[in-house]
Amino acid sequence: MATITLQDIRKKYGSDVAIEGINLDIRDGEFVTLVGPSGCGKSTTIEMIAGLTKPTSGTVSIGERDVTALPPKDRGIAMVFQNIALFPHKNVYDNISFGLQLRNFDKAEMDRRVEDAANTVQLSGMLDRMPSEMSGGQRQRVAIARAIVREPDVFLMDEPLANLDAELRVHMRTQLQRIHNKLDTTIVYVTHDQAQAMTMSDRIAVLNDGELQQIDPPLVCYHEPANRFVAGFIGSPAMNFISGEITTDGFRSDSGHGDVEFDPAAIGVQAGQDVTLGVRPEHVIPVDEAVGDVTDTIETYTDVIEPMGDEIFVYLVTSKGETVDMEDPSASGQILMNVGPGTDVAENQELSVVFDKTNLHLFDAETEEALAHGLSEPVRVDTSVDTSADSEVSSDDD
Amino acid sequence: MSQPTGTERSDDETRGPLSNWVDSAIKNPKKVYRAMFYVVVIFFLFTTLFPLYWLTMIALSNSNRVSEGVGLLPAGFDPSSFVEIFQQIPLHLYLFNSFVFATLTTIFVLIVASLAGYAFGRLEFRGKRTLLLTVLIISFFPPAAFFIPLFQLFTQQIAFLGLTPPELYSTPGGVVVPLSAIFMPLAIFILTTFYSQIPDGLEDAARIEGTTRLGALFRVIIPLSAPGVATAGILTFIAVYNEFFFSFLMTGTAAQDWAPIVDGIISYQSQFQVRYDLMAAASIVAVVPVAILVVVAQEKIVSGLTSGALKE
Repeated sequence: MATITLQDIRKKYGSDVAIEGINLDIRDGEFVTLVGPSGCGKSTTIEMIAGLTKPTSGTVSIGERDVTALPPKDRGIAMVFQNIALFPHKNVYDNISFGLQLRNFDKAEMDRRVEDAANTVQLSGMLDRMPSEMSGGQRQRVAIARAIVREPDVFLMDEPLANLDAELRVHMRTQLQRIHNKLDTTIVYVTHDQAQAMTMSDRIAVLNDGELQQIDPPLVCYHEPANRFVAGFIGSPAMNFISGEITTDGFRSDSGHGDVEFDPAAIGVQAGQDVTLGVRPEHVIPVDEAVGDVTDTIETYTDVIEPMGDEIFVYLVTSKGETVDMEDPSASGQILMNVGPGTDVAENQELSVVFDKTNLHLFDAETEEALAHGLSEPVRVDTSVDTSADSEVSSDDD
Repeated sequence: MSQPTGTERSDDETRGPLSNWVDSAIKNPKKVYRAMFYVVVIFFLFTTLFPLYWLTMIALSNSNRVSEGVGLLPAGFDPSSFVEIFQQIPLHLYLFNSFVFATLTTIFVLIVASLAGYAFGRLEFRGKRTLLLTVLIISFFPPAAFFIPLFQLFTQQIAFLGLTPPELYSTPGGVVVPLSAIFMPLAIFILTTFYSQIPDGLEDAARIEGTTRLGALFRVIIPLSAPGVATAGILTFIAVYNEFFFSFLMTGTAAQDWAPIVDGIISYQSQFQVRYDLMAAASIVAVVPVAILVVVAQEKIVSGLTSGALKE
């Protein structure tokens, strides 16, 4: 167990900057997920923690030790790779015990540890098999056993579930959480799948273009995204964005649809400011279902409807027959709504909707930084915001 | 050839069997490929195996009748030449010498070429292409061009950078050193190709688990590249074992002076007679065991080390 500290890490490949000065403090025993789109530098970051890649500048510390110049084998880490990377010429026992053999463990101790690790990942009885005789999920479990058998200070996982099928991925996700609970080791986990990030981590570090966007607990990233990128990346389906400006009595969208009334002064924004309004699909509510003081209704037409079973995705357009710009659907007036399974919707109908004002987000159009979260009663509480925000949503949904 | 039948195809009857064959081959080109395959294979087998067959016939001939000429069958039958070759000279020592040259060179080449192959195949560094091309260019030089300076060096006639090297003439070193250099480029190219194909993840995994880069090379990359290592090793071994120029000139003529097989075979030729049957027998004895050894070793090495089968 150990803390990990990245101080002003930079990485350049030739003249391309892959990592732009990242500072990261990971606490002892914490499960931190690095998440971001392809090419955002998350894999490079974890490789620098592992020592497989040397940072151009900055320091990496594990525990109290500065390990920037140490080779991977001296850092007290273990790693699970996306492509699993079992040694195909060794059987499961030799794969798991490879690190122990290199450290000259005695046979009895090695047997005991391998047995323990194999039990943890439910692989006992398969120690004689070759990797080629195993399924994808079994191989991934061998890789995890190989990592835990050495009882490292830090676990690094680089998209370990990416090559598994959907069912197995969900199963392994819970397995990994159990292992984390059991071992209580510091884990750094890399994924591009925000669902994995949300479900497993203590904190999520969102990266984009080699820069750290936000590091916070999953629900804080969800409810109080630091900027427009985090807002769009965390949450599925993605947040709707409507560009417009602040007027003296609220938000006026450029397209004329999606205006919201509020007092700008109360949430600390100024009239005349160009902003982007963010609203999650589940916070778009049909007027019929809304309760309380319904204002700012938006007249829309339903376009495509995607029933998912437990919820329905409804694509709304603000005028009939409008072509939707695929690159930026929100700009051309498309709004995605997420409603409960019992909702009565059909394609090509008129539908009035409202936004749940307690869950709207405002972003500066230029810097894309978040200006405010929740427009009717701007709550700015730290972590405790999750529960209060959730309960308000449900009351509105009824 | 199928006989043309039916009234519609009666024109086929006026054509010969060759025309019919060509006709059907056009409709079914695989037939042509198969025919060409057999022609080429038989030609290749004939040209490579017939000399060996004829050598055996000479070896089995009666020594007095060899000069009359040997056809497809031995002139007389006298297998005693296979015993006599060991009685006249210590042929086993000559064989041993050649074997030592080949083994030492192979080991040395594999070690050095593995390191070079790792660097060329798995690392990015400035001047990599240039360096690889230089290695290639060096392999274009005729080995004979190196001979005279090396001979002078190994017989201590000249000094190198002010130092006189140990006398390598008539020692395995005199053969192994130049031959290693000459056969190195081929091995480097083979191993570079193989090592570059091992996924980076495996090397990363080995390094995380606790090896150095060098450790990962020997524990993971080389075992997984076994077919390539075996190929490079066998090619080097055969080339050195068959090599004439350096092994003949860098050593003495007696078995005690590290003379190779060629010297042994030549010594069946005396001032007054040439024992072709002994030469043929000695050649067979020199070739066949090593051929078998190489085939067996290749099977063993490749199957033993790749039993896990690389599957990514």
